[in-house]
Amino acid sequence: MAGSVLAPAPPAPGTKAPAASQGRLRRALSERRTRFGLLNAAPVVVYLLVLFVYPIFSTLLLSLKSEDGGWTLHWYADALQGSNLKVLLTTLRISAETSLLSLVIGFLLAAAVSRLKPLWAGLVMVIVIVPHFISALVRTYGWIILLGEHGVINNALTDLDVPGAPFQMLYNELGVVIGTTSVMLPYTVLLLYAVMKGIDRRLPAAAASMGAGRLTIFRRVYLPMVAPGLVNAGILCFILCLGYYLTPALMGGPKQTMVAALISEQVMKQSQWNGAAALGIILLLLTFAGLLLLRLIKAVSETAKNRGTS
Amino acid sequence: MPELRLKSQHKSSPAVSPPPGTGTGKPLSVTDLRKTYSGVTAVDTVSMEIAGGEFVTFLGSSGSGKTTTLMMIAGFCEPDSGSIVVGGRDVTRLAPQKRGLGFVFQQYLLFPHMSVWENVAFPLQLRGVPKAELRRRVGETLEIAGLSAMARRRPRELSGGQQQRVALCRALVYRPPVILMDEPLGALDKKLRDQLQTEIKRIQQELGLTVIYVTHDQEEALVLSDRIAVMRDGRIDQFDTPRELFERPRTPFVADFLGAANFLPGTVQQRPGDGAQTLVRLDTGGLLKARPQAGAEGARVRAAVQPGRLRLCTPGDGFCTGTVETVTYVGTLVRVTVRPAGDADTGLVRLELPAGRAPVIGEQVSLAADPDDVSVFAVEGGG
Repeated sequence: MAGSVLAPAPPAPGTKAPAASQGRLRRALSERRTRFGLLNAAPVVVYLLVLFVYPIFSTLLLSLKSEDGGWTLHWYADALQGSNLKVLLTTLRISAETSLLSLVIGFLLAAAVSRLKPLWAGLVMVIVIVPHFISALVRTYGWIILLGEHGVINNALTDLDVPGAPFQMLYNELGVVIGTTSVMLPYTVLLLYAVMKGIDRRLPAAAASMGAGRLTIFRRVYLPMVAPGLVNAGILCFILCLGYYLTPALMGGPKQTMVAALISEQVMKQSQWNGAAALGIILLLLTFAGLLLLRLIKAVSETAKNRGTS
Repeated sequence: MPELRLKSQHKSSPAVSPPPGTGTGKPLSVTDLRKTYSGVTAVDTVSMEIAGGEFVTFLGSSGSGKTTTLMMIAGFCEPDSGSIVVGGRDVTRLAPQKRGLGFVFQQYLLFPHMSVWENVAFPLQLRGVPKAELRRRVGETLEIAGLSAMARRRPRELSGGQQQRVALCRALVYRPPVILMDEPLGALDKKLRDQLQTEIKRIQQELGLTVIYVTHDQEEALVLSDRIAVMRDGRIDQFDTPRELFERPRTPFVADFLGAANFLPGTVQQRPGDGAQTLVRLDTGGLLKARPQAGAEGARVRAAVQPGRLRLCTPGDGFCTGTVETVTYVGTLVRVTVRPAGDADTGLVRLELPAGRAPVIGEQVSLAADPDDVSVFAVEGGG
C-alpha cells in the first residue's frame, strides 16, 4: 500500500539532459515498486478522469459551441450581459453579505466556545454542527415558518406592538442572507474555533503584564492571530455561497435569483445547455479566483511579515 | 498554580500609567499577603521589602506558595488580604496592565505573529514612545542580550534559550521598576540553563534591574540571588543572603533544602563556665560543639552539619566514629557515607571531601566539624 507514497517522483519536464531524464523515467517505471504504486493510484485516477475531468471538459466544450456546431464565445457574452449579468452581480453581493455575516456570528460564537470548559464546548459544538446533518430543505422550511409574515417572529413582534411589525423577512435579500448564513455557519465556526483553540490563552496575560489594555490586546494580539482563520473561513464561505442553490431559491424573491438558480432555469425550462455551461464555467472561474485570492493574501502577508519593521 | 486573571479594564488603552518614580519608596514592599484556594491556604502572611537593584529569589518546592506570591505581585491573582506597594504606590487591587511591572514566563509566551523586533518593541509602542527612541531602545536591548542578528526572525524560528532571551528583553525594554520571573529557565536543559543564568545575572547587574525570581532549583537560587526567600507551606522560612542561609540556617527545612545537611539527634549539655559554645551530647555518644545557640539544658535537639563542612580527623579528636560505607567520585570531590557507631537510629552521615583525601570502604574513621558550622534545632521545631 505504501508503494504509491514511496514511489520516486517522476522527473520534471524540461530537464537539461532529456536522454538522461528519459532513462531515469524508464528505470523508474521498470521498478517494481513504482509499477505497484501506479496500479494503486489507478482507481483514483480513473475516478477523477471519469467524474471530474471529463464533465468539466465537456462543459467547457459545450459553452464554446454555437448552435451550428462552430466555435463561439457568444454564450459568455450572453452571460455577462443584461439580466444575466445582474444575476451574476446579485450572486456576488449575496455571497459577500452572507460570508460577512457568517464571519461575524461565527467569530463571536467560536470565541465564546473557545473560552468554555471542554465539556460545555463540546456540547455547544454539537448544537452548532448537528443541524448540518439535517436536510437543507427541512432547515429552510424551518426558517420560512419562523420568518414568514405570520411566522413565529412576526407574531411575537406584533403582539409586543413593535412599530412596523410585521416585517418582510422572506422572499427578499434579508431572507436569503439569513437562511444561507445559517447553512454556512458551521463552516466558519469550525474553522475559527480550530484557530482560536490553538492560541495560547496566556498570551493575553503576557500582553497585560507589559501594560496592554483589553482593547489593545484584542487588536494587537488576538485578532492578528485569528486573522488567517478569518480569511480562510471568509473565502470558503464565499465560494460555497457562489454555487448555492436551495435556500436562495426558496427564501428569495425574483430579485434574488442567483447563478445556480439561473443555470437550473436555463436547463430545465429553456433547454439552453450551452448558456448554462457558460454560466457554470464562469462560476468555476470565480471559485478559482477566490482560491487565488486566498493564496495571494497569504503570500502578501507572509512577505509583509518577513519585511518586519526594522 | 493559580489561573491567570485579567481584571476588566474599561478604559481603552494605551492607558498605561507611567512607571512609579524612583525615590518615592522601595521598589517593592509586600505586607501580610494571604491567599486561600477553596479552603487551602496557599500563601500565609508573606511580608518582605526589596531594595532597588536587588535580585531576590523565591525558592521552594511545588506548592510552597512561591508562584502564587509572584502572581499576586504581578496582579494575575488577587490576594485575600495584605498589600502590595510598588515604588510607594499601592497596587494591591490594580489590574496587571496598570502595575507597570515586567514579567517573564516559564513558557516564554512570545507573540508568534510578531518578529523578535516587534515583540520587544510592543511594550514601548503601548507607551507611545517616539519612533526614533523606540528604535534606539529596542536595538540596545537586543544588543545587550546578543540577539541583534535575529531581530527579523519569528519566535518559532528560535531555540528555547533564544526565545527566553527575547522574553527577557521584552520585559526589561520599558525599564519596569521590578521584573518578575516565573521559573524562566524551567523548560531548558541543564547546559543552557547554566549559560542563561550567567547571562541573566550579567544583564541584571549591568542595568541595575530589580528582579524577583521564582525557582525550585537551589543551585540556581544560590548562583543568581542577592537574597533568597525560602518558602514552605505558604510561608517564608527564612529571607536572607545565600551565605547566611547556607551557614546560619534558621530552620531544619532551610538546612536540609539548601545544604542537604546531616541531622544528628542528641541532647543539649551546657557545660558550666563554657558559655561560648553550645554542647550537644549526641545519641552516638560523642560530644559535638556548636556555635552558641538557644536551647535549654537537657532539651532534645538535632544538630545539622553540611556534608562539605565535615572532615576526617585522628581518632579521639572527633565527635563521632564510624565505618565508611560508600565512596563516590564526583570530579574533584568524593562523596563518602559513614555508618556511625554507637546508635542504630542515627542515619548515615554524608561527607564531601577533597578527592585526594578519600578513605576506603570499610575503613574506621573519626569525624570532626568546626563549631561555627554546626546548627542546632529543637526537635519540636518539626521538619
